[in-house]
Amino acid sequence: MFPFLTYPLALIALASLPALAAIYLLRNRFRRRQVSSLMLWRFHVQSREGGSRVNRLQLPLLFFLELLALALLVIAATGPHWKLPQATRPLIVVLDDSLSMRAATDGVSARDRAREALQRLFRFQAPPSTRLILAGRDARLIGANARTWSEVEEALEQWQCWAPGAAIESALTLAGEIGKQQANILVLTDQPPPDERIANDRLQWRAFGVPSSNVAIINAARSVSDDQDRCLVEIANYSRSPRDAVLRVFAGSNAVPDRVQETRLAMAPQEVQRVVFNIPGTAPSLEVRLEAASESGLADALAEDNRVQLLSPIRRRVRVQVALTNPDFADLVNRALDATGLRAALSANPDLVIHHSDFAGSNAWSLNVQSPAEATAYVGPFVIDTSHPLAQGLALNGAVWAGGASLTNDAEFMPVVLAGNVPLLSVREDMLGRQFVRLNLDPQLSTWTRTPDWPVFWYNLLDWRASQLPGLRESNARPGSEIVLQSTGEPVTVRWPDGTVKLLQGANAPLAIEAPLPGVYTVTMGSMTNRFAVNALAPGESNLQHASGGQWGDWKAGAEGQYEQSPLAWLFGLAALGILTAHLCLVARGRAGG
Amino acid sequence: MNEELRQALHQGEQLGLRYALQIPQVAASGLVGSRLGRRAGSSIDFQDYREYQPGDDLRFIDWGIYARTDRLSIKLFREEVTPHLDIVLDGSRSMNLEGSSKARAAGELAALLAVAAANAQCSRAVWLSGEGFNRVANDTHPPPSWNGLQFESARTLDQSCEILPPKLRRLGVRVLISDLLWPGNPVQTLRRLREGAAALFVVQLLGRDDANPPDHGSIRLVDSETGEQTELFVDSTVKKQYLENLAQWQQAWDDACRQCGARLTTVIAEDLESSLRELEAIELLSPA
Repeated sequence: MFPFLTYPLALIALASLPALAAIYLLRNRFRRRQVSSLMLWRFHVQSREGGSRVNRLQLPLLFFLELLALALLVIAATGPHWKLPQATRPLIVVLDDSLSMRAATDGVSARDRAREALQRLFRFQAPPSTRLILAGRDARLIGANARTWSEVEEALEQWQCWAPGAAIESALTLAGEIGKQQANILVLTDQPPPDERIANDRLQWRAFGVPSSNVAIINAARSVSDDQDRCLVEIANYSRSPRDAVLRVFAGSNAVPDRVQETRLAMAPQEVQRVVFNIPGTAPSLEVRLEAASESGLADALAEDNRVQLLSPIRRRVRVQVALTNPDFADLVNRALDATGLRAALSANPDLVIHHSDFAGSNAWSLNVQSPAEATAYVGPFVIDTSHPLAQGLALNGAVWAGGASLTNDAEFMPVVLAGNVPLLSVREDMLGRQFVRLNLDPQLSTWTRTPDWPVFWYNLLDWRASQLPGLRESNARPGSEIVLQSTGEPVTVRWPDGTVKLLQGANAPLAIEAPLPGVYTVTMGSMTNRFAVNALAPGESNLQHASGGQWGDWKAGAEGQYEQSPLAWLFGLAALGILTAHLCLVARGRAGG
Repeated sequence: MNEELRQALHQGEQLGLRYALQIPQVAASGLVGSRLGRRAGSSIDFQDYREYQPGDDLRFIDWGIYARTDRLSIKLFREEVTPHLDIVLDGSRSMNLEGSSKARAAGELAALLAVAAANAQCSRAVWLSGEGFNRVANDTHPPPSWNGLQFESARTLDQSCEILPPKLRRLGVRVLISDLLWPGNPVQTLRRLREGAAALFVVQLLGRDDANPPDHGSIRLVDSETGEQTELFVDSTVKKQYLENLAQWQQAWDDACRQCGARLTTVIAEDLESSLRELEAIELLSPA
């Protein structure tokens, strides 16, 4: 701190100090007084001040109080200011929100150490304002502009560290944009910077990681395999020594789980092992735990990646009503539909109607098979809109597609497959989001019904329709990912694993549900309830061997605006007032005693 | 003797014209004078009769009684005496305190008493302590004629008495004028003065500074008699303590006076004229 005076000429008033001292010296000079006898001046009891024999200049407490009060008043009159080195530039803190920040050493995680360092910074060099940026899968600002540690602390509650990665580069870019290259940037992470020679003189990179061993589940999936579910679990040994572990799989969530799978793993350093097993499709949610093979424990730094929960995959089925007049063709279509595995057993309240008109039910999509009286066989080349869901994987190589040449494309229909200017497959979407597909096909003259493109087309059709059915598209995800929910327009309620309930307004469009925390989420939409699980799976974050600690770069103290001027005249004035009050009390007490 | 003191004697003489010394009955003895004594004497005031005894003056036989009763009786007449006043002045330096009127008041008071004694047909002697007690020169003359009245002795009253005590007349009235501010046993001093006296009056003459301590602040106190010095920071507590000491000392003298049959009064030098009532109160003076 560098004090300076606004009105240094006021120091002239310091001359009052020797004046006061002179007054006291003259006042305290012993006046000679002759008395009849000293016998009455000898006391057995002496007062605190008076009565004592003195051989030196005696200055009472009042003198020093007056002297101090005068000095304080003179200093206050000079208008003193302190130049404080802090509180000059705003601070932007980039918080590594990745899972590895939860890695603990001696019970203290890197996040706790970083938080403590930030608090220490506020204690000794509090910035005027602070913005926090969470660097997870992407960078995002949290909280408002904080001015005190309590406000920062409140915003830090969102720093949970479950993300599978840290987009620190994006966060730094964001920090540069909102800080306009004027703010100091502090990165709190557990990794060293990509380039240890930091050229930015506004950037301080502080890492609080400790290289540690960790055995982790880095991948887990549960997918549909006919009537069964196929489960895949990948385990990695991110350590420099072999590790033994046991992978236990439990089914059920409420009661005591039944142990359905137990696999002993002997893993070499840096080895990744894969465990694949099948379970019945009717099995409830699975819990996969990675446990120690012996009583010595797993001895890894990150416990969060030793457990995953796998919910049943969503089996989407499309109710299809085939209303074709040509029984051979209908049979051909039915067989193709059955081969996709996406067709529901029921056909009531169909989701898709295959017929010879553009009419459809309330929510059903329509596939209108137009069979012309006079068809022309086209051998190509076909113009295919490969970006359309119906055309994915559709090649039509060597296929003959016969269709009516007189049929032209309606203005509302979007062609997907063309033969010259003849639309063979086109699509229209109405106001309610229903899709109307026109298939210009004469199956008698076409050969592509006998090519692999035929079931591909039907799979694309049903998959497209299934993807637009209300509900979740997946049941297992990773933290930070967005879960897509096909809404029916009704309000959606999402209950997070920590009990938080979020209400989303429904729309006839896919909703993206944020899932930052691991655990099971419950999504309620009308009478429909879905659940999905989020698991902390991140190979890059589970590997703690590259974690590091230290500081790189520092905020350069430039000449401009590096110090804040804080007036302190009021402080000296207040102190002088207190001293004068004490002086008054002493004087009043003396008078009362006298 | 300085002029101021002589002026004080003159002023005391003027004051004394208004007063007469009150002579107690026990003090009605002395040389032949004009005042009736306690015993039978040769005055013309009849006192009593008694039987004739051989050797009695035949001139005082009451022949009328002898004619009526055939018994010889002698007429007794009161004697006529001149009572005596001894004024004992403390001649120590403390009676001439700087900044006070103690010396002037002492002279004025002595002169007043001397004139009041004369008004009461009393003889007088003025004794001044110093290197022993000495009579003030010309003390039988009017006070302005006195010489050698000075307060410069470094000795206390007791010490002067040890060296040369005053020759005080028996059955005389004695008045001690002093500030009484010296360490010692008051009873011993008073017994010495009271011995053979008809009455003893003690007039404590204090300066205003003696009765009221100096102002607040740092003060170098100088003993007027010994020259001893001490430096004190005087505040309200010290002042209070001083007054307590003074009151205790005055109480000690008062107790000693009661014990010895003396009467004590305190007079402030600067307020002498207003303090003369105190002298009337102890029956030392009465209006002439």
